[in-house]
Amino acid sequence: MSSLRVIVLAVIGSMSLFLGASADAAGQPTDTDVKAAFLPRFARYVTWPPAASPKAGEPFVLCMIGNQPFGTAVEAAARSQSVDGRRIIVRKLPSGSVASGCQIAFVSGTALQPTQQVLAAIGRKPVLTVTDDGGPRGIIHFTVVGGRVRFFIDQATARQNGLQISSRLLALAVGVRQ
Amino acid sequence: MTAFPKRIGSWRSAPVAIFASAIIMVLVGLGVIIQTDNAYKDARREFVVSQARILAATTAAAVDFNDPIAAQEAVNPLKSIVSLRSAAVYGRDGQLIAGYDRTGEAVPAVENGIQPVGSQLVRASAPIESAGQRIGTVYIQVDRLPVWRRVTRYGMLGVLFATAALIVLGLGFAQRALRKANRELANRAEALAQANEMLGEQMEERAKAEDQLRQSQKMQALGQLTGGIAHDFNNLLTVIQGSADMLCKKELPEPKRVRFAKAIVQASENAAALTSQLLAFARRQPLKPEQLDLDQVLAGMRDLIDRTMGERIQISMHLEGPACSVQVDKAQLQSAILNIASNARDAIEEDGELRISTREVNEEAGRMIAIDVSDSGHGMDAETLDRVFEPFFTTKGAGKGTGLGLSQVYGFASQSGGEVRAESVVGQGTTVSLLLPCHAGSDVVTNPVERASAAPQRGATILVVEDNEEVGVFAESLLSELGHKVTRAASGEEALRLSRSNEFDLVFSDVVMPGMGGLKLAEALAEEKPALPVVLATGYSQEIAETGSVGRPLILKPYRLSTLSEAIADALNGSRPAAG
Repeated sequence: MSSLRVIVLAVIGSMSLFLGASADAAGQPTDTDVKAAFLPRFARYVTWPPAASPKAGEPFVLCMIGNQPFGTAVEAAARSQSVDGRRIIVRKLPSGSVASGCQIAFVSGTALQPTQQVLAAIGRKPVLTVTDDGGPRGIIHFTVVGGRVRFFIDQATARQNGLQISSRLLALAVGVRQ
Repeated sequence: MTAFPKRIGSWRSAPVAIFASAIIMVLVGLGVIIQTDNAYKDARREFVVSQARILAATTAAAVDFNDPIAAQEAVNPLKSIVSLRSAAVYGRDGQLIAGYDRTGEAVPAVENGIQPVGSQLVRASAPIESAGQRIGTVYIQVDRLPVWRRVTRYGMLGVLFATAALIVLGLGFAQRALRKANRELANRAEALAQANEMLGEQMEERAKAEDQLRQSQKMQALGQLTGGIAHDFNNLLTVIQGSADMLCKKELPEPKRVRFAKAIVQASENAAALTSQLLAFARRQPLKPEQLDLDQVLAGMRDLIDRTMGERIQISMHLEGPACSVQVDKAQLQSAILNIASNARDAIEEDGELRISTREVNEEAGRMIAIDVSDSGHGMDAETLDRVFEPFFTTKGAGKGTGLGLSQVYGFASQSGGEVRAESVVGQGTTVSLLLPCHAGSDVVTNPVERASAAPQRGATILVVEDNEEVGVFAESLLSELGHKVTRAASGEEALRLSRSNEFDLVFSDVVMPGMGGLKLAEALAEEKPALPVVLATGYSQEIAETGSVGRPLILKPYRLSTLSEAIADALNGSRPAAG
């Protein structure tokens, strides 16, 4: 009985390992995909001041300002996500636009208007700014550590802007600026 | 005996109850343990579920952002739970994000690879949720406490219940043992009662057998007695009858007539001695007890004993001195001593010695003086010794002894409140001890003064009271011969009547008569005429044997002319001074 169980276990174990490995090999997501998937998810771990929260029945707004490195991946990710029953919509804005009405703003500067400028324009508005590796940092700043997408969190700025970031999210950060 | 089974009966249902309660106790104990165990299992399950939920909550962000390191960091604190077997965090697609297995085995890489839980593990899973969405699953497996740990955990409880059950069982067994012991006791008591009953029956049978034996011995003794009496009396009657026949012949020369008359007198004397000894044995002898110093009496008998024993036997006396006096009939005492001595003489075949001694002994009945008469004769065997006091039992040759000697001793001793014992060793001799009680009265002994025989009185008026016509006629003729004037009465009542209307000098009365007896008559006369002397005569009287003659002169039948003459003379002499 026990030997039979060991055999069955071994078979199933090896099969699952094999399947897992094959899945990894086949659909290994790129860093860009991961970052796109992450963007709508931040909404769950951040609390906005009531004035900055979407009104009842209105969707959650994720703005993409400047360059659009993710293409439609963000929309795809947003569709599968919701925050407290609210849909998440993605609004793509050209650089220099005012990020008003946005809860989250992914800022990727252009030559015309660098990231730093956009961030400065947002200033102290209650917007969760997200920036990508290799530029000025927003509240959340993507990085890649050990081949995995991770992020820094600037909690000091977030607090200044009236945002509360969940400790659970903070725990995931590579570094937190207090 | 019947009380035992009843008692046991009332206890019969007790062991069943005790065993039942022991079983109930064990069952209750088991129930409590199972209940506690179930509660423990529930608590365990709740613990695991709550741990899973906590893990799910703490790993939500890590799963959301696909951060295995953060997820692993959330899993790691669980390692401090000793019983944790494994923990695993799976993502939305069922892929492993973080995991831990205490045994070092690989945690299944996909959620589907998780095996059903064996009996040794408790597993719980909890969904990882983020903003109302399920983003993964957490699995936690902990060891179920091993059986021995659980047993240890409930050991104390089990021990308590087992102890209780054991105590109850012990009580039950003890009770059973007690019951058994009781039953055995009852059986034994019953057996004992049976044995007792049997013993009782045997004793009764034995008593019956002894009674029969005694009866047959009595009959044997009686046969011997009557045979002996018949034999001796027939001999004497032969002499008397023959002599009387000869006397009736006419022309019998004077010397012959005298000889035959003397033969009759001699035979009658022998017959009287015979009946006297019979009465002595039967303890019916009228005794005239007087206070005596035994040593003095024995010393006074020295000559008489010497003569009886003859020259070949050496006699020694060892008298202790007067320790106390006794109150017995002197003549009977002397007769008893002589009887013992003559038996001793017959036991000594050639030369020998006879030793007579006195000593004081303390018996149950009180102080006594023992007269030991020891001889150096041939002794007796035990059988002979047993029968030595039986009347007419004799070892002597025919004609040598009557067989009444020691019977007289026995009767005399008994009647005087004492006893007689005989000890003997064959070939060495015999000791006969005569024990007589000390007299409580004054120790001063007054030896009777021999009175000079009074001159026969003549011419007195005597009332003879006798219911037997022949004896009455005989007494009248004797008294007339003595020169008295005789009036006869046939009963006590008649005598009383006659005494009131006539003057008599003396009343000579029989004791045993129908109606008023001699003693009653004497009493009545003592009241009416205190000065009138009364002389009593009897052959045998129960009354006299028991109480004596109350100080009145008494002569025993058969009496001889001389005896009668002396008694009458004494009475008349005694009364004269008082009367005159």
